[in-house]
Amino acid sequence: MITVHAQYQSRFREITRVEKESFEIAEPSMAALATAITGKYGPAMTALLMDEDSKSLNSRGTLYLNSKGTRMYLEDGLADGETVFFMVGIAGG
Amino acid sequence: MESRLLRVNLTTGDCKVETVPHAMFERWIGGSGINNWIMWEHFLTHDVNCDPRGPDNIFVFGVGPLAATGSGSGIKGRITFKSPCYGIFGDSAAGGKFPYMVRFAGFDYIAITGKAPKPVYLHLCDGDVEIRDASHLWGKNSAEAHNSLVQELGDYPSLAHTLTIGQAGENQVGIASVVSDASRIHARGGGGCVLGSKNLKAIAVQGSGGVRVQNPRGLLNWSKDFRQKIDQNEAIYGFKRRGTLGAVEMYQHIGSHFWRNNQGNMFRGDEVRSDNWVKKYHKYSEVCSADCYIACDGRYKLDGTESEKAKKYVGESFRRPEYLTTASAAGALDLRDWAEVAHWGKVTNDYGIDNQDLSTSISFIMELEQHGLLSARQKAELFDRDNQSLEWGCMEDVEELMKDMVFQRNRFGKFFHDGPYYGALRYSEFRGQNFMKYATYGKGGASFTEEMRPFPTWMNNMAVASRGADHLKGIGLIEKFQRRDLSMKYFGRLEAADLSTPVLKGACTAVVENQVALLNSYGVCLFHWMLDPGGYTPEDYYGRAFAEVTGIDRTPEELMRDGERICNLEKAFNSRLGLRREHDTICERWMFEPCPEGMYPGKVAADMFETVLDEYYEWRGWDRRTSLQTESRLKSLGMDDVADVLAADGALVRA
Repeated sequence: MITVHAQYQSRFREITRVEKESFEIAEPSMAALATAITGKYGPAMTALLMDEDSKSLNSRGTLYLNSKGTRMYLEDGLADGETVFFMVGIAGG
Repeated sequence: MESRLLRVNLTTGDCKVETVPHAMFERWIGGSGINNWIMWEHFLTHDVNCDPRGPDNIFVFGVGPLAATGSGSGIKGRITFKSPCYGIFGDSAAGGKFPYMVRFAGFDYIAITGKAPKPVYLHLCDGDVEIRDASHLWGKNSAEAHNSLVQELGDYPSLAHTLTIGQAGENQVGIASVVSDASRIHARGGGGCVLGSKNLKAIAVQGSGGVRVQNPRGLLNWSKDFRQKIDQNEAIYGFKRRGTLGAVEMYQHIGSHFWRNNQGNMFRGDEVRSDNWVKKYHKYSEVCSADCYIACDGRYKLDGTESEKAKKYVGESFRRPEYLTTASAAGALDLRDWAEVAHWGKVTNDYGIDNQDLSTSISFIMELEQHGLLSARQKAELFDRDNQSLEWGCMEDVEELMKDMVFQRNRFGKFFHDGPYYGALRYSEFRGQNFMKYATYGKGGASFTEEMRPFPTWMNNMAVASRGADHLKGIGLIEKFQRRDLSMKYFGRLEAADLSTPVLKGACTAVVENQVALLNSYGVCLFHWMLDPGGYTPEDYYGRAFAEVTGIDRTPEELMRDGERICNLEKAFNSRLGLRREHDTICERWMFEPCPEGMYPGKVAADMFETVLDEYYEWRGWDRRTSLQTESRLKSLGMDDVADVLAADGALVRA
């Protein structure tokens, strides 16, 4: 088991109602973290986080970065203690 | 597909209507593409080097073929002109109800030349056109002028919708904007100055007509599918609540804001770092046009309880700030109270002035003060008054300097009326000292309140955008949001999504510029595309809607070439004005000063700048040394006639 941290912004935070939290996951992967989060928060989070057509993380208007500022994908690994930031991805205005 | 172009010569008072033939849509798609061509043709018979504040400049308004069709993809009207502040190609978009009412009034394009002998406004109503006296409107701000027109024109055959200028435009401030229905702004490039120079205070439209669609059933089916895609996208639900303010927290996290003239890239105020304000004070949502399935707009109304500073603005109501309004206020000027940020958005709109170039002009002067480079005597010379405070985050100081600019009250207003680059140049010359290192700008001297240094495609966009430094022409979501899927789709490789390498960043600008040119020519809102319900492919998904409306059925590859053709015409216009590679540049701060904070500290644009620029020219098929277009590339795009003009001007490479 490893411990990873999730930090939420905007629409993600509206669903979770917390800014950050930790998860213990058996697999050190982004896929395991996504499963834990969608399992905890249900359909609204699943719709926001997952692209059911491609079975990947939803990339439409959302952004997931690790602590180095690199976008995360389901197949990416996670280290013990890593933080993943869940954000909306929009620019300009 | 045919549409109507209204030509108005304000010098002679002549108004005539021409048909825009189907062939024009075949070549230029519509919207910004056709606007560009109207301006290009105008300057074949008028001096392209004319004073942009003079009667020979042209002001074109246009809407694309998808606008007001019920497609649900939003409506953007576009204005196109030679920019008075930067002296190059200028254009700017805005949503709202004015664009569709132009179509309902019987027109799609309006081209205005000459100069009226006295203030006038243009009234379009169900195919009729009249130039009317506007002496009672002159001196009013954009909202007051709009409200007066709505009241005096009544509600038959419809309520009036307007484009107006504020006092900034009347005073021919180079960075003056054009305001649509008192609330949405064609901010960039100085369109308000062009109208002011023509003594044209407003355009008011009323209409009861309709819009012809080639295949209504096909468009309805597309529209239904689009609606479903939007409704199924949970991220869009969030966007409806916040609009572009959703970017505030993400930008804060990655260090992409523009704080105190970009000495930093993160907001400092506790409240303005998040979009929670929206939830606290958001009063109601609204659609900016009647043809939008997202409805990201909203209104606030201050009751004075929001903060101590909000007490100054009790009763004030306006649109919820967009991201760049917030970036210029909470970032460039370090205003830390949301009520002040919102007020900044309202007053810049009312005066009709671009908050990007205005905020970076003010923040330039504030930075000189911060570094002790302004004595009391030097400030008195600049402001024609003693003891002008220049304190970061002080709204009173900001409002004074704003009025200096809008009303051209003193040297500050006159030096900086074309934005921070020309302002810094003029002030450096005045003082006999070089202050250019404190000016933040890109191509044309245009400024922009976002951090560039860690994002090579955005950096390149600032250097090459046809209308001067700007994010929208090549808005780099593939790179900034590290979209590997899109990098693979467009390039078959992953590097476009990798911030650590310059590879494919220039290519990214070129490809996205072509896509954005298409969207701007369809006449739709870019945010529908950026939120990606249709798969980020304007050449494919939106192309099908374009076919249903116009009957022009193109492959995605053909549509991307259409986008490329539109970009090349904007480039050709600038080449005629003498712009070359050395003009595709960015300021010293972005180029050489290390990114000070955020997620990507230490980055400097210079590390990748020339490599990215070379690649951009290569993907464009332009000459690397000069940046000029090549004869072969233009001919491959069916632009032989444009190549001939450039050759005659010595602005073409024979390759």
